[in-house]
Amino acid sequence: MSLAAFTPSAPLTLGVELELQLVSTHDFDLAPQAEDLLRVLANHSGAWDVKPEITRSMIEIGSSIQTEHGPLLDELKDLRRQLSDGARKLNIGIAGGGTHPYQHWSAQQIYPTERFHYISELYGYLAKQFTVFGQHVHVGCENGDTALWLLHALSRYVPHFIALSASSPFVQGTDTGFDSARLNSVFAFPLSGRAPFALTWDDFGHYFDKMTSTGVVQSMKDFYWDIRPKPEFGTIELRVCDTPLTVDKAAALACYLQCLCRYLREEKPFEPAEDDYLVYTFNRFQACRFGLDGEIVDPKTKERHKLRDDILRTLARIDEHALDLRALNASNLLRDSLFAGNDAAGLRQQRRVGLPLPAVVEWATERWMG
Amino acid sequence: MTDLTFLASIADLPAWMLEVLRLADPVLGLALLMVFAVVLADLLHRYIRLPRPCGHMLVGVLASPLVLRILERAELDTWKPLIDLAIGVLVFELGTRIRPRWLIDNPSLAVTCLLEGALAGSAVTFLLNWLGVPMLSAAVAGIVAMSTSPVITLAVLHDIRPRGQVTERLLLMTAINSVMAMLSLRVWRVFAASAEHDLVSTGTGALYVVAGSFLLGAVCGLLLDLLARRVHGTGTMPVLQIAVVTIASMLAVQWTLSPLLALLVAGVVARSRMRHGLTVEPQLGSAGAALGVVLFISLGLLLTLDHIGTLWPSVLAIIVARAAGKAIAVLLLAKPSGLGWRQSGALILALQPMSSLAVLLAADTFIWASQFPGVDKWALQALLAATTLMQLTGPLWTTFALKQIARESETEPSI
Repeated sequence: MSLAAFTPSAPLTLGVELELQLVSTHDFDLAPQAEDLLRVLANHSGAWDVKPEITRSMIEIGSSIQTEHGPLLDELKDLRRQLSDGARKLNIGIAGGGTHPYQHWSAQQIYPTERFHYISELYGYLAKQFTVFGQHVHVGCENGDTALWLLHALSRYVPHFIALSASSPFVQGTDTGFDSARLNSVFAFPLSGRAPFALTWDDFGHYFDKMTSTGVVQSMKDFYWDIRPKPEFGTIELRVCDTPLTVDKAAALACYLQCLCRYLREEKPFEPAEDDYLVYTFNRFQACRFGLDGEIVDPKTKERHKLRDDILRTLARIDEHALDLRALNASNLLRDSLFAGNDAAGLRQQRRVGLPLPAVVEWATERWMG
Repeated sequence: MTDLTFLASIADLPAWMLEVLRLADPVLGLALLMVFAVVLADLLHRYIRLPRPCGHMLVGVLASPLVLRILERAELDTWKPLIDLAIGVLVFELGTRIRPRWLIDNPSLAVTCLLEGALAGSAVTFLLNWLGVPMLSAAVAGIVAMSTSPVITLAVLHDIRPRGQVTERLLLMTAINSVMAMLSLRVWRVFAASAEHDLVSTGTGALYVVAGSFLLGAVCGLLLDLLARRVHGTGTMPVLQIAVVTIASMLAVQWTLSPLLALLVAGVVARSRMRHGLTVEPQLGSAGAALGVVLFISLGLLLTLDHIGTLWPSVLAIIVARAAGKAIAVLLLAKPSGLGWRQSGALILALQPMSSLAVLLAADTFIWASQFPGVDKWALQALLAATTLMQLTGPLWTTFALKQIARESETEPSI
């Protein structure tokens, strides 16, 4: 199978996907009720989409194509309302967060579709361990070359998104010490990590052909990269974010990406280079482990900064673009969260006041459902 | 045969014979039955996938006058407080599992819960009446037919640990239809007594029972919350819970209230007050599990199929009308309440195990006839036979419904 042609789309258009946890209102453990919720939501009134994910305790929602923060947030709020009504009808809760704090992976059930069964057969227990919840953001690009240029230019900012969205400190009943432990589950997949350094669609096509000829991959879906091109949508897809605890944060993160893309495209502050990736895994680890308190090494200057400061400086640089894109509210929300702490800190705070983990999940459920 | 001559007759028997052991110490006889029940139920579960509660009941049947005559039914009356406690433990656990708020969030579900009990009860009552059973007697059968066995529902849930929509609805409906059966029984008593007693005073008595049971349950739930704040350690909670269940159960009997309603309310109140602080182990831990085995052996001992050859039309009428009533209610409101057709089928099947708890918990003895003076004895026997069939096979229906149809128990076996 050869690489599909890149379908052009309007630059800087946005699409948001959120993977969400379905929990029982009795013990707040994951509840395998995705089919029930999908059935109840079959006739929802929004332009958004809701579909199953790999295990039966997860669902994925996708926004329609958006251009600005306000309408995106309105749509996510409508989606949250309809989802929450459906969940209440079924006596289940819906929560954000990158991991469920105490679910046991072996208790998870694979959602009955051909693709998910294929993944389960291929990856074995890793498929069930992939019961983690992320936010994916699509940004529209006019052609494949621009998409790949943007993809590599954005690699410098990947730790920003990890630290800002981090909401997965607990795994299997334990505080991992990581702010985003979710990404450790993604690392286990052989085709995870970063995309190969190809700056034109043709070069990327050669790489794809070589990979398909080995039989290792069959389609773009087999790559679990942090950012990957999505030719059929005409977008690049950022996949490193944990699902935040609120839709407000999800919309803000998406618009931060939109503003960054506009800043990179219009100002071209640097040219991406293969050597940028020398510090990539270090920066990524710092963001996962320490969140906003982590450090980041600038791939160009080799200077080391606190991630929090680096994000603050970047927010200041892109303010003009945020103004033009009517995304100042989104920037302000993220700026505030730099001092208030990310969602991982919020979850840990609940635990610190003595709440058991089920109560922490209940708190997260109330935050998401409103 | 007098006691003395009986003693003289068994004096010659070898010391290991069951009769000798039972006479030496009644607890020993029951303990031996428990050992046998646990081993046999496990073997049957491993080789023919028979749910464990069925195995326990089968041992009861084997020990009963129906087969080996090891125990007489009347002998069970001595054990009634213990068996009531076993039932109480399960009813309290059921109370902690339900969330009344769901009924407000899903009004169609609330209507289904009321309708399935009412339709099942009405269908049985009118069909039996049509078959010639007097209305007051047919109504007793209708009332008992309303409820699903909480004991079987909880036992199967402990056995296969299902999670899902059908399981949650089954728990809620079991609680509600059991309470409906209990309340209907009180109303029935008002009607039955109206010939001899003042209607107002009997009505007030019924109101006293309902309000008193609510109050007792609420106080016990609050008491558990209060006590739990003062003790620490993981081992103390099950002990506290068993103690509170015992207090609620015994006081309810003492004050002629409904233990079923009181324990359900205690569970609901304890859950809503203590929230995540309330950890309820299945059957409140190992002591409760042992009581559970005794309970199922006793249920097996109480089963009866006397006169089934002549009573089968009435027995069949009870089973079919009850199933139809529940099926109509569930199917009618499946879509508006958010249930799929396959799940509706599973729920209907899982609701079939019958229960006599509404009667048993309020009675001093296991002899049914004494509870319903004036009721047609053949109607009562048909009801007993129907209950026997749907109780003995109950775990099979529920397990099949939750595992095979609803597919809500797909977890891998632990090592």
